[in-house]
Amino acid sequence: MALFPLTSNFEGDFVLQLVAVDSENTMDEVAAAAAVHSVGRRVRARPDCIMRVRRQGAEDFLPRTMKVSESGLKPTETVEIIWETARH
Amino acid sequence: MAVLNRMDWYDLARSTNWTPTYVSEDELFPPELSGNFGLPQNAWEQYDEPYKQTYPEYVKVQREKDAGAYSVKAALERSRIFENADPGWKSVMKAHYGAIARGEYAAASAEARMMRFSKAPGMRNMSTLGCLDEIRHGQMQLYFPHEHVSKDRQMDWAFKAYDTNDWAMIAARHFFDDIMMTRDAISVSIMLTFSFETGFTNMQFLGLAADAAEAGDHTFANLISSIQTDESRHAQIGGPALKVLIENGRKEEAQKRVDIAVWGAWKLFSVLTGPIMDYYTPLEHRKQSFKEFMEEWIVAQFERALTDMGLELPWYWDIFLKDLSQTHHGMHLGSYFWRPTIWWNPAAGVTPDERAWLEEKYPGWNDTWGECWDVFIDNVVEGRMDKAYPETLPYVCNMCQLPILGTPGKGWNVKDYPLEYNGRLYHFGSEVDRWVFEQEPERYAGHLSIVDRFLAGMIQPMDLGGALQYMNIAPGECGDDAHNYAWAEVYRALRAAKKAG
Repeated sequence: MALFPLTSNFEGDFVLQLVAVDSENTMDEVAAAAAVHSVGRRVRARPDCIMRVRRQGAEDFLPRTMKVSESGLKPTETVEIIWETARH
Repeated sequence: MAVLNRMDWYDLARSTNWTPTYVSEDELFPPELSGNFGLPQNAWEQYDEPYKQTYPEYVKVQREKDAGAYSVKAALERSRIFENADPGWKSVMKAHYGAIARGEYAAASAEARMMRFSKAPGMRNMSTLGCLDEIRHGQMQLYFPHEHVSKDRQMDWAFKAYDTNDWAMIAARHFFDDIMMTRDAISVSIMLTFSFETGFTNMQFLGLAADAAEAGDHTFANLISSIQTDESRHAQIGGPALKVLIENGRKEEAQKRVDIAVWGAWKLFSVLTGPIMDYYTPLEHRKQSFKEFMEEWIVAQFERALTDMGLELPWYWDIFLKDLSQTHHGMHLGSYFWRPTIWWNPAAGVTPDERAWLEEKYPGWNDTWGECWDVFIDNVVEGRMDKAYPETLPYVCNMCQLPILGTPGKGWNVKDYPLEYNGRLYHFGSEVDRWVFEQEPERYAGHLSIVDRFLAGMIQPMDLGGALQYMNIAPGECGDDAHNYAWAEVYRALRAAKKAG
């Protein structure tokens, strides 16, 4: 359990933002923490989508249940939060 | 008694170099302050300034300039321009004075470095006058806003801004410290006068003067036009220095200094002048878009100046030309959204008419920047003001100290340009900002951005209140919407009409 700063690059938003998460947060929780600062402020919510997290430049998303402490992310590293159409 | 023509004696009178015997040349002109670039003193004696003026001529002309600007101010003091001006225009004045006035004094000390330490006698002459220019600019741009301080606390930032930790001032200081306060005399001449003043001050002082006259603020228009006449003279200090460097095989060093300074100037003006021209200035008073002004006054001018000089266009020129349509929209949205952290009240500038103008000048604006503004406008119209303010910090660039941003919406291309150096992860807003850092990492590595300071626990408590206190923004000085959101009424009416229809 430790405060862990990340840089959020949220799909559709215009600026990188500082997001404080916990090292034990999952990627879904990271996405939710990042969304607080973008969705409903400058980015429209997309109810048909879920939000996924990936390293900047990576094609694959990090597993949704992966914890920050397991991800190898460095403090302040930039993660991209990408809308993914939810599977029904 | 007959007086000789200036050109009959000027060359002889400026030949003030001598061979020191009591001290070594390096003691008289320490290389780190003089910037000898490994060239002998006689190479610098070839420096030939294109604009020659003597001290008596200077005093006569400057006296007339001062008399002109001060008499316009005196004549219009009772005109209630400030009281009656559009709030967006007042914000232009506040942003300008805060960002510029005290920087002029700093520039005076940079000119003084050239005056004392340059090995080129002609440069010493020109920068003596340049130093006096900058003192004049500092004095005027503190005196003129002073009459408004009692009416509006934000006007106090004309004096106060430079000493604060406001993020915009950290950015301005980082740039000016880099190009003029911590460089040798020759580098100052290249980076401050040639790279920064030649083009960019034209934009702030001429572009803005046109907008000021349109807005009816003739005092401000006269003031900044008067300043620009000095700039256009002392901006010529760097050109002959570049010529000396190029003729003596130092083109690469010269080019690098130009490339670094032009980029930094661009970033700073994208946040200072871009929003002013394309968003704050009332629509009916706009002369040109920021991009059009940049293309006419900066791009064309630099391309000509660099080519004439025998230099290349900076390697990033294509990136720069592309960014002309993008960066300042983000700087505006950023400074507007984080408006409590600035000392002026930004005008949103996004009514339907203004958006039509933006779409015309910047095709695609509505699908990109407009998408972010749509969400913001919904919040204002529907009274969700808690969503209309930020709750965290934007991540800022470790070079320009400004938010790292890109195009949003359908053109989303936001990207971080990271670099790990000596175990620390740095973040940059562009390939060019990162390149500048890489040229001399130790020069910049120790600096902490506002975000680094926050993460280091230097801002307490770690919330907006703590941040405002750290930035020296007192109650009553926080920025908020220039028009108190009155512009949103048109959207409210449109929605009501749509519902009814």
